[in-house]
Amino acid sequence: MRFYNNYAYLFLIPTVLGLLFFRLIPIAISIFAGFTNWDIYSPPQWTGLSNYVHMFRSEEFWSVLKRTFEFSFFFTAGVCVLGLFFAVMLNQRLRGIHFFRGLFFMPVITSVVAVGILWDWILSPQFGVLNSLLNRIFHLTSSPSWLGDQKYALGTLIVVYIWKSVGYQMIIYLAGLQHIPGELREAARIDGANEARSFFSVTLPLLTPTLFFVLIITIIQSFHTFDITYSLTRGGPYQTTTTLSYYIYQNAFVHYRMGYASGLAYILFFFTLIITWLNFVVKKKWVNYQ
Amino acid sequence: MKRNKQIKSLIVYVFLTVYSIATVFPFFWMVLSSFKSSGAVFEIPPQWVPDLLFKPGMWDSYFKVLTKHNFLRYIWNSSFISVTSSLGQLLTCSLAAFAFARMQFKGKQMIFALLVATMMVPTEVTIIPEFLLFSKLGWLNTYAPLIVPSLLVGAFGTFMLKEFFESVPASLEEAAIIDGCSPLKVYWHVFMPVAKPSLATLFIIAFMNNWNEILRPVLYIQSPQLRTLTLGLSQFQSEYTTDWNLLLSASVITILPLIIVYVFNQRFVMEGMMTSGIKG
Repeated sequence: MRFYNNYAYLFLIPTVLGLLFFRLIPIAISIFAGFTNWDIYSPPQWTGLSNYVHMFRSEEFWSVLKRTFEFSFFFTAGVCVLGLFFAVMLNQRLRGIHFFRGLFFMPVITSVVAVGILWDWILSPQFGVLNSLLNRIFHLTSSPSWLGDQKYALGTLIVVYIWKSVGYQMIIYLAGLQHIPGELREAARIDGANEARSFFSVTLPLLTPTLFFVLIITIIQSFHTFDITYSLTRGGPYQTTTTLSYYIYQNAFVHYRMGYASGLAYILFFFTLIITWLNFVVKKKWVNYQ
Repeated sequence: MKRNKQIKSLIVYVFLTVYSIATVFPFFWMVLSSFKSSGAVFEIPPQWVPDLLFKPGMWDSYFKVLTKHNFLRYIWNSSFISVTSSLGQLLTCSLAAFAFARMQFKGKQMIFALLVATMMVPTEVTIIPEFLLFSKLGWLNTYAPLIVPSLLVGAFGTFMLKEFFESVPASLEEAAIIDGCSPLKVYWHVFMPVAKPSLATLFIIAFMNNWNEILRPVLYIQSPQLRTLTLGLSQFQSEYTTDWNLLLSASVITILPLIIVYVFNQRFVMEGMMTSGIKG
């Protein structure tokens, strides 16, 4: 058996290479590059904390950060609540329920770019389907430009992104719900609890591990927003939809400020780290395992 | 009591139907409108029956997108990239999963922990050094940067297969070892065949993720011949902002293959994502 186990490293070569070259080394290089003025054209020079000083003094950075949190908050809240609601609706023994589950999940598998074009067209101010519907029902006098107006752009982006992703959270909740033994709810019902009561005092507490897991992955997902921003607004109008991940891209690959962008990437990494760490700590404390 | 139940089911059905419309109608409307002439796409009130449906010229916009705008080539590029990196991912992930599930070795816990811990890091964090690496290797503007990272970093698949391999009874493995099979043979002839359903699921999910990838194509591909479908579509959007019937046909071409694959494998896709609980 010794001989057998020695093969393990052979089996792990590709995965370890990937882990090193596309995960660990890039993370390490980012720290280092964040302290340089690297700009692709000339060799990087050590500039100490100047990227971070510049960052913390820049108004743009703070407004991008604020927007990132706004995006994260509303996206996470929307997806976590709606996903749970949909999962409860779909966790019933009804004819055709698998068909509905399939439909609810469909936006998750489609390309963000195509979804961007689709919504750009539906939301287009003059002739879009949405505004023409709104006009017919409410007889609006103006046609709001959902993606072009600074007031609405971020909100619209959040709604489209929720629409695109919520099916994923929904099936994870669904898996959690299906693990809860039916007898428990049955017992609650016999004790005279009505449906709402049994949901809040039996189902929900038993679902906390899933709730927590979904919360964590959703927050992390909300940091990873390059795709949707690039496809729908490219950060505009007037940077009102630029979140941190898109700001990193802009700085690194549009303005070629690689050093500065690495600093920004580190801020993003820092938030991810906090969330992952919270995952480990809090899970032990309040999550209710059976 | 029974009446109550019926009313309840009715309410649930009404709700399910309403939200299904919200998820499906946009796609349906997109397909329908791709058969309209460019003037009719934005007609108000919107016409339900596309003006070119079953008439001469019905497929004109598709034909134009596929040939004149090079989407045939993009389909080939995306298919090639998605198939190679997904097959590669199957191999990498199953090898690692086999080691994690069936072997004892030094550093097992640590390597696994690192894999888990870094899985959540968004690509935006690691993309700058990755870009530097590929430019130093001279791989910019080739398929390689779109294939290699996705082929080697498959934490999701490793998880899924590890879970499966752990459930395989030990007797199967022991019999093969006693017969003198090398570990590679045990992996290939005993474990891979029984894992076929999991491998198929992983292939579909990996294929979808690669097909939909946009950040890496945007950064690494310059030459129009090498564009993937999503990149081609995105470029097309910025160049032809007003040709909506062409844009919609191009979007249908991008989305349709995945929807077809999904419809036939719906259960596996959903269950695969459910059990491992991690995307891409």
